[in-house]
Amino acid sequence: MAADSRKVIVHLRATGDAPILKQAKFKIAGTDKFIKVIDFLRRQLHRETLFVYVNSAFSPNPDELVIDLYNNFGFDGKLVVNYACSMAWG
Amino acid sequence: MESKGGGTEAHKYIWEGAIPLQIHLHESEITTLPAPPPAMILAPRIGYLPLLAQKVKPFFSNSLPPGVDTIWFEYNGLPLKWYIPTGVLFDLLCAEPERPWNLTVHFRGYPGNILTPCDSEDSVKWSFINSFKEAAYIINGNCKNVMNMSQSDQLELWRSIMDGDLDSYLRISSKLKFGILVDDFSIQLNISSPKSPESTQNADGTAPAKTGRIPVRLYVRTMNEDFDELEDAPVVESWDRISYINRPVQIHGDGKCFTLYDAVTKLLPEFFGEKLPPTDDVSKEEVEVEQRSSPEETNKSKTERSGEMLNEGIVSCSISDGAEIKLLRIQGIEPKMEIPFAWVVNNLMNPEYFLHICVYVKIQEPISI
Repeated sequence: MAADSRKVIVHLRATGDAPILKQAKFKIAGTDKFIKVIDFLRRQLHRETLFVYVNSAFSPNPDELVIDLYNNFGFDGKLVVNYACSMAWG
Repeated sequence: MESKGGGTEAHKYIWEGAIPLQIHLHESEITTLPAPPPAMILAPRIGYLPLLAQKVKPFFSNSLPPGVDTIWFEYNGLPLKWYIPTGVLFDLLCAEPERPWNLTVHFRGYPGNILTPCDSEDSVKWSFINSFKEAAYIINGNCKNVMNMSQSDQLELWRSIMDGDLDSYLRISSKLKFGILVDDFSIQLNISSPKSPESTQNADGTAPAKTGRIPVRLYVRTMNEDFDELEDAPVVESWDRISYINRPVQIHGDGKCFTLYDAVTKLLPEFFGEKLPPTDDVSKEEVEVEQRSSPEETNKSKTERSGEMLNEGIVSCSISDGAEIKLLRIQGIEPKMEIPFAWVVNNLMNPEYFLHICVYVKIQEPISI
């Protein structure tokens, strides 16, 4: 599908005491699920427990498509994803 | 019908709605002879399967092998996603409603490769509250109203879901001041994007910001086999066969009634809409233009577009591509496609403010969304 072949720029932002990544912006296929972002962060940070949010607001369901999240909540051409090692926003 | 954002007759039906389950313990976990009989349990439509653990466990606790419990359910070999409300799972997976619904329960061997972890009731609560925040974000452009809830209100809200207590739910949710859609065939709704700064000014002063953005979770089963009877619909063997789409619907008033059909065709441009522009740039441009233009202009252009869609075949629900809606189910009902979408939203949405729509689409060529 035409709309799906789009790549989405994900901007990863550390929250609280979470370590900051050397590279904060990544491109990811819109057809990927959000779990891919979570798994990527887990690998980068070597942590099993991680709290991942969109726009410092909510944790999307891991099954949601990145393109849907971008279309619904992205701005300035990117999707802002915050990550924390402990719960940041209940 | 009352219109204060809840307490309609439909709400009561939905909150009282339940699926009769006949739950069997998976044979690999039966350690006693004779095998335990199945458990018969009523599962609330708006509830979630793991919340049944306390009710289900006593039926099987004597038969289980030693180990730690992590409850999960399957239907015809398909592990059931616990974050999907039980009623939606039923509507989606049982084309022909099966009563009682025969599910298999497991307390061991959690399929972590298919299901996201669910350790306890807290996992379900976390998922629910986050869905609630996500919906609020779509409606208001932020979710401060949910984030600023007091702990006790949040807990009471969650309890109301657990207990199926509609009155308690309405008491809490009314504090959140969600903009309520007015169910009117010809209402002019403010459709400015919540992202744009003007949106709050456009709202008529005192009232909470009215919104045209409706949070929708869409579950699409596509099939290219022909079947006449619903019971012949193919069994879902894998979640890959179901497209899980989260797209808001923008309701726009144009003097005409914005129907469920209009909403579905807008939600699924892959099947029913105009062809999307093939390149990134164009679609991005479109988004930007939409944000910049004044609400009136957006309104107008959308109107024209939907007008075209309407002409394309409201009667047969099918369009040149050969895609055809075989079945559309919300809260166990198969509503007529001509009914106003605002009514559907106000009456049939789930407590977390998402409207869950199950659609069975018949297509000529298998495609993925």
